[in-house]
Amino acid sequence: MDINKKRIEKMRDLIFQNLMDSYLPFPLDTKLYSSWANNIPNSGDTVIYTSYMYQISGILKRYEALFPKIYRLNIPKRLMTASKFLIKPKDEELQRAFRILKSITSMLSGSGVNFGYLYDQEPYSGALLLESGFIKEYKEYGEKLYSFFNSKGIKNIITVDPHTTNALKRYKDFIDFDIDVKNYLELVKFKGSGNYVIHDSCLYSRAMGMYSDIRNKVNNSGLSIDENYLITSKEMGSCCGGPLSLVSAQDSEEVSRARAEKLLSVNENVLVMCPLCYENLSPYINNIKDLAEVVS
Amino acid sequence: MSYEWDVAINKAILNNSPKVHKILEENPYIKDVASELRETKNRVLDDIDAYISKTQKSVEKLGGHVHIAKDSTEAMEIVKEILGEKRKIVVSKSNVLYEIKLREELENEGMDIWETDLGEYLVQLNKDMPSHLVAPAIHLTKDKIGKLLNENLDSSINENTSAEEMVSRVRKFLMEKYLAADAGITGANAIAADTGSVLLIENEGNIRIDTVLPQTHIAITGIDKIVPTLKDAFNEVIVQASYAGYYPPTYINVTSGPSATGDIELQRVSPATGPKEFHLILLDNGRKEAINSDIRESLLCIRCGRCYFSCPSYKLYGKDFGDSPYTGPTGIMWSAITSKKYDKSMLCMHSGGCKEVCPMDINIPRMIERIKFRYMEES
Ligand code: SF4
Repeated sequence: MDINKKRIEKMRDLIFQNLMDSYLPFPLDTKLYSSWANNIPNSGDTVIYTSYMYQISGILKRYEALFPKIYRLNIPKRLMTASKFLIKPKDEELQRAFRILKSITSMLSGSGVNFGYLYDQEPYSGALLLESGFIKEYKEYGEKLYSFFNSKGIKNIITVDPHTTNALKRYKDFIDFDIDVKNYLELVKFKGSGNYVIHDSCLYSRAMGMYSDIRNKVNNSGLSIDENYLITSKEMGSCCGGPLSLVSAQDSEEVSRARAEKLLSVNENVLVMCPLCYENLSPYINNIKDLAEVVS
Repeated sequence: MSYEWDVAINKAILNNSPKVHKILEENPYIKDVASELRETKNRVLDDIDAYISKTQKSVEKLGGHVHIAKDSTEAMEIVKEILGEKRKIVVSKSNVLYEIKLREELENEGMDIWETDLGEYLVQLNKDMPSHLVAPAIHLTKDKIGKLLNENLDSSINENTSAEEMVSRVRKFLMEKYLAADAGITGANAIAADTGSVLLIENEGNIRIDTVLPQTHIAITGIDKIVPTLKDAFNEVIVQASYAGYYPPTYINVTSGPSATGDIELQRVSPATGPKEFHLILLDNGRKEAINSDIRESLLCIRCGRCYFSCPSYKLYGKDFGDSPYTGPTGIMWSAITSKKYDKSMLCMHSGGCKEVCPMDINIPRMIERIKFRYMEES
């Protein structure tokens, strides 16, 4: 497997420039993506933070597909930020994302958590930089992001997806980033029903060590979960293939397909907790749900 | 992913992972030994030069020789000097031997050199590289093995020949090689600094013969294999075997210098029946530099190979996830240490199962992340 470093560097440079210019990795309609919320205060030192992950997960693959073309055609950077590259998700994708975010918000409120929201001012987390190994850019963008949060008086951030949670929690390893980051799953209690197999988010369950806490919460919620040591254990559970798409979209899809097959051998109903896992696995699984779609 | 590889890796996981899980459940002491070993190995890294010189003194006291090689070239020069006119060599499975390209170089010099581990022997016939640290030939199906043996060993073997018959035929061939060998070259699973002993574990019995029958035994290993005491060395091999799925290991070989006897008036006479000469080559090849780097923790790896089976990148790419012999999650770390190769880290999906199964509790995803950083930073 050859790695096309030049292409990766080009993608890094484009994303980084966009982030430094606009706090967004590529052009995004932030008004649209924040329109799921209306009665959350636009103030306070604690905010719910989406980093647009649920809203844009459906179009990420289309952006990724665009990158090799940009590389081949050698499109100048300044054109990449132009609005002609604005890709819009399908309406049903967006409505689903909005329902999930509303469900998470109501679980948080129901658990007595108070928070504000930055609406269309919300910046992107920088997760893509860290996960792709772009450390210099991750640190530099992190500093900009930290100043932004400081300027808004934000001290506590509640994240809703694993990639954003990881990116924000990890800034501390590299730069000054004195903001308390909690994931919504750490804060909420919920109830639900149904019989599922869990596809763990690698970041939640292994990198952040949340495997047992998630299992406890889910098992106490009324959901029934099927397990198989080789497929769903902390040790043997595996990736949805998403992170590989930077290097090879085709290989990434192969991992997703193989993972879906394994999950389906345990239960035909699959539960995920990450918008990217959903995106990668859903082509191969009929009944796949985000946790926030089945609990309240 | 080829269909053959997909079938092979799934079979390997099915046969190995539940077995290791069961071994660890039934023998809870092994996890305690593993965490003690982590501390011990860290202590050695803190003071590596002192442990190297202690090992050297201990081996010399037993009548053996120690050679320090700073890189592969030096290691090979030492090997060639020790071998002199010797042309017939048997070797046992060792990644360090691949690291210094031992077989390749000695073959090029026209020596009659044979891998004696069955998996490695098959890899040698296939002019291939191992696909796993512990199970080098998992990528070869029985049909393919039948074909290889048919073309290279015995034309009466075919894909319908039973595995037992294939093994028996190879055994016969290797027996001739053992009897004729001038030197046996092995790696080491652990080295005890206090006694100068080299410990090797195996199930086939080939290492036992490689280390005893030829009159010269050369053990070549990385300085990371040194532990303070013989007890620690036993701990290391037990942990390695258990996490590889072999408990108890069929053989644990301990070599402390050349053969000797005390049967005449209790006076130590060396050699006796076994080798006349014992050489230990300790290889640095980037290891010392790694001690003082951000990937130091990688050096705690005892090469049990368990992390491979929890890794989606290995399941997808097989030995292309890494640079043979250092493949799989641990291979990304070892390639970075020994050859400063960083590119394959980009194939890591940071799934994190590797860390969960590692006996040394190495934060492998974090090590690979740092290797990714190196890759993106190097011009
Ligand atoms: S990194 Fe850990 S699990 Fe992998 S081979 Fe080394 S010791 Fe075994």
